[in-house]
Amino acid sequence: MKLRLAARLAGRELRGGLHGFRIFLACVILGVAAIAAVGTVRESIAEGLAQEGATLLGGDAEIELTYRFANPDELAWMQDTATRVSEIADFRSMAVFGEERSLTQVKAVDTAYPLVGTVDLSPDIPLEQALADDSLVMHPTLADRLGAAPGDTVTLGSKSFTLRALIEREPDSRTGGFGLGPRTIVLRSALDGAGLLEPGTLFSSHYRLDLPPGTNLDATRAEAETALEGSGMRWSDARNGAPGVAEFVERLGAFLILVGLSGLAVGGVGISAALRAYLSGKTQTIAILRSLGADQRTIFLTYLMQVAVLGVLGITLGLALGVGLPVLLSPIITAQLPVPAVFAAYPGPMAEAAIYSALSILIFTLWPLAQARDIRPAALYRDADTSGTLPGAGFILTTAALIAALVWVAAWFSGNSTLTYWTAGSIAAALVVLALAGLALRAAARRLRPLARGRTALGWALGAIAGPRSTASAVVLSLGLGLSVLAAVGQVDRNLRDAITRDLPTRAPSFFFVDIQRDQMPDFSARLDSDKGVTRVDAAPMLRGIISEINGQPAAQVAGQHWVLQGDRGVSYAAALPERSTLTAGDWWGEDYDGPPQVSFAADEAQEMGLKLGDEITLNILGRDLTAEITSFREVDFSTAGMGFIMILNEAALVNAPHSYIATVYSDAESETAILRDLSRQFPNITAISVRDAVTRVSDLLGSLASATAWGAAATLLTGFMVLIGAAAADARARSYEAAILKVLGASRARILWGLSLRAALLGAAAGSVALGAGIAGAWAVSHYVMETSFAIAWPPALGIVAGGALISLLAGLAFALGPISARPAQVLRSRE
Amino acid sequence: MTDPVLSLREAALSLQGNAGPVEILEAISLDVHRGDTLGLVGPSGSGKSSLLMLMGGLERATGGTVTALGHDLTTMSEDALARLRRDHIGVVFQSFHLIPTMTALENVATPLELAGAPDAFARAEEELTALGLGKRLNHYPSQLSGGEQQRVALARAAAPRPDILLADEPTGNLDSTTGTAIIDLLFGLQERHGATLVLVTHDPGLADRCARVAELSDGHLTERQPPKARTA
Repeated sequence: MKLRLAARLAGRELRGGLHGFRIFLACVILGVAAIAAVGTVRESIAEGLAQEGATLLGGDAEIELTYRFANPDELAWMQDTATRVSEIADFRSMAVFGEERSLTQVKAVDTAYPLVGTVDLSPDIPLEQALADDSLVMHPTLADRLGAAPGDTVTLGSKSFTLRALIEREPDSRTGGFGLGPRTIVLRSALDGAGLLEPGTLFSSHYRLDLPPGTNLDATRAEAETALEGSGMRWSDARNGAPGVAEFVERLGAFLILVGLSGLAVGGVGISAALRAYLSGKTQTIAILRSLGADQRTIFLTYLMQVAVLGVLGITLGLALGVGLPVLLSPIITAQLPVPAVFAAYPGPMAEAAIYSALSILIFTLWPLAQARDIRPAALYRDADTSGTLPGAGFILTTAALIAALVWVAAWFSGNSTLTYWTAGSIAAALVVLALAGLALRAAARRLRPLARGRTALGWALGAIAGPRSTASAVVLSLGLGLSVLAAVGQVDRNLRDAITRDLPTRAPSFFFVDIQRDQMPDFSARLDSDKGVTRVDAAPMLRGIISEINGQPAAQVAGQHWVLQGDRGVSYAAALPERSTLTAGDWWGEDYDGPPQVSFAADEAQEMGLKLGDEITLNILGRDLTAEITSFREVDFSTAGMGFIMILNEAALVNAPHSYIATVYSDAESETAILRDLSRQFPNITAISVRDAVTRVSDLLGSLASATAWGAAATLLTGFMVLIGAAAADARARSYEAAILKVLGASRARILWGLSLRAALLGAAAGSVALGAGIAGAWAVSHYVMETSFAIAWPPALGIVAGGALISLLAGLAFALGPISARPAQVLRSRE
Repeated sequence: MTDPVLSLREAALSLQGNAGPVEILEAISLDVHRGDTLGLVGPSGSGKSSLLMLMGGLERATGGTVTALGHDLTTMSEDALARLRRDHIGVVFQSFHLIPTMTALENVATPLELAGAPDAFARAEEELTALGLGKRLNHYPSQLSGGEQQRVALARAAAPRPDILLADEPTGNLDSTTGTAIIDLLFGLQERHGATLVLVTHDPGLADRCARVAELSDGHLTERQPPKARTA
């Protein structure tokens, strides 16, 4: 009965239109749209990756071996199981054209490649034709770096090849183009005589399998693990053709949605403010209804229903916008994405956005609705302000439960509860800090007001900030959260870039050289020793190995998903403790030690993995298992980008295995070009990796991540701007009134405008300053605890945040200042009589 | 006789209403001389307040001329009108119209600040103290009673020592005791500073305290001599 009556009353109220609810709707729509858009893009990529799994993988399944090709038995199993098999070798090398040389990631293929999809080339010729007669194709970036064009002769190792075409699309490119060297594709058979893929060369072999239709992938995988037992093989199949990319997109998407939640929190502040303003205008109506006999529950339901109707409308429009825009812009987005994507309206992200929004709307409207419920009929006779009153315990508990539900849902959707709890905690802390900052700002303005005597406009501005009905808290809250995230992103990004570009090169080597054959080492060292620009050379034998077992147990069971277990790691051997190495526990073996294998493990990583002295590590190197006892722990500093091995074994354990050397060369910048030129000429098989280039690529990637986060923060800021516009609109009547009185007292329009502008700019700058403080604190925490880098305030982006806050507030303020300054005072004052 | 400080010649005001233009005032002619006290009376809706607004340049006449201290208000820009008020005209309203975000002291100091007075706050404090509000200087309007708010409004109008004081039903929102006190203060201020006072009221008794009384009816003005003339 009550419900029906409340519905009728709500319907009558809404009949007048949505005039009072524009900001409410805008906040809901923006919040929902931002989250739905991120979710839709994430889901579209996931679907693209799933649909294109076989293409990305290059076959229905792939078996990867490190450092070696499959032996005849292994190959025979593959050929028996698959309808077609394609063998690929993947390794780094140097491409040379004239005097130019550049690192490249070589894919040495057979004639069956690619099993799935096609390699698109420019000029448009078949791959088979492009690779015939000692020819190769390369990525345009590499050709650009070398200054080479199709038809030119380029060198790989010690052999010349004709560059026949440029790669426009590589179907099985899973790195999205990220890698230190752009791609070169060449026939493996054509590499004979190039001096590459020699024993000890660092490469991986990939066997792509075209399986008969209906093959049970799990069963085939189990068979492969049996047939290739102890080979150190890694299995992938088309169900997840690009696991790294999928995981990255998933994580980035989850992170951006959490950033989007901050937008929803700001929107919530706007929703709450809009509802309060609306209900404040309805005080008379509510008081009349109460005097006519409506009870508190009826009043509550009447306005809750209006909120529900508007919430559903806002969520629907937000979903339409958040899903429609990515779908509409899919041709542009797809062109920019390095991975496939299938754009459509996916129910998952829509449900996620809708649930977040519905919970947020309830959280931010319950309080004002409860206060409206408390309006008494006496409000008809005198002002009865219920805005400062606390709602009943039931409402407070319900709000708390809804907040807990929102956080739980966010943790469940993101799949990363730690990140979610930190984000939710940070948002809550930021809201509290910003609310307190709003109060502090008012107190400060009150204290400063007397000092502004004689500066009329400044005095007005401070008076308005300090005085009753001040919008200071609203401005600081609505702008602060978005600006805080932006400030933190800006500070972290700048500090990380500084750490990479300013600090690292002073400690990091200029080059890594890999694939140096043992017999090349004396000449290699001689060239560097004679160079005065070279300050230090470290060289060590290197093999690659996978930790398969710890104390006889599968490694993952003992140490979980620790990064050391993810893929193969560099392994070295040494007779004596290497220079600049410090043991933290245990003893180094004697220089002539010839007993059972022993390993010295990196101390920090060992601690993280729960290893202790005496544990046994089983390493799969070149398809053979080798078990060694941990006899010492060493300090290894990876932050200097120098040579650092997680594991060093005693010499006798590995010296007879095929291997090459790795060297790090520290030199001044002027000598780098000559070193690279001389060593590449003298040793064509050696691959040089410029740390400078690597740093640039990493910086670019970090820049992209920072941009993605900044876009998320910008959505929050846009919502904040909407809230600000709402606050300014709600305040416009008061401003008009104030301006009219000031005109009566003799103030010119310019002076009034200046006062209004100063007030808006001061509030915005204050919001920016608070946000900057919060952002710097957050950035320091990220730098100190997560990145473990030093932190210094980057002033240009910091000042940008304060100025940006002032500008945004000023724009919102000015948008509503023109009305007050142009209105005739008599009209305004008469309307207040 | 000296030139009038306020002079209206065939002044008219018509406002645009929903149902078309509404004639508020028609062909009003009136001279007010320095030191005069003029009571404007008339029934509700007769246009008394609108006429006062024309005199203060708060409303622009749609016909005729309105001159204040020799300035033709009908041709002046909004900013020029504001400057004229700042330097010469004080206005007191029925609804006080204090700036809600400013304290009593700041409200009174504002016109002085606008005029560039270096001792704006000292003068404002002096003015408020003279009106018995010395202990309410830092209160916001919402923290003051109606009578106190009107006293602040009076202090604000009088503080710059205007040549003309325009008061629009200054006791309309007050009880009779407080209203009488406010009127006493208003006339006291007028006497002390020698200003010209135009007082709009619907109370004939109150109007009779003025030296001249003009009655507005149906948009037309008729002047009559008060029974007990009070000279400035």
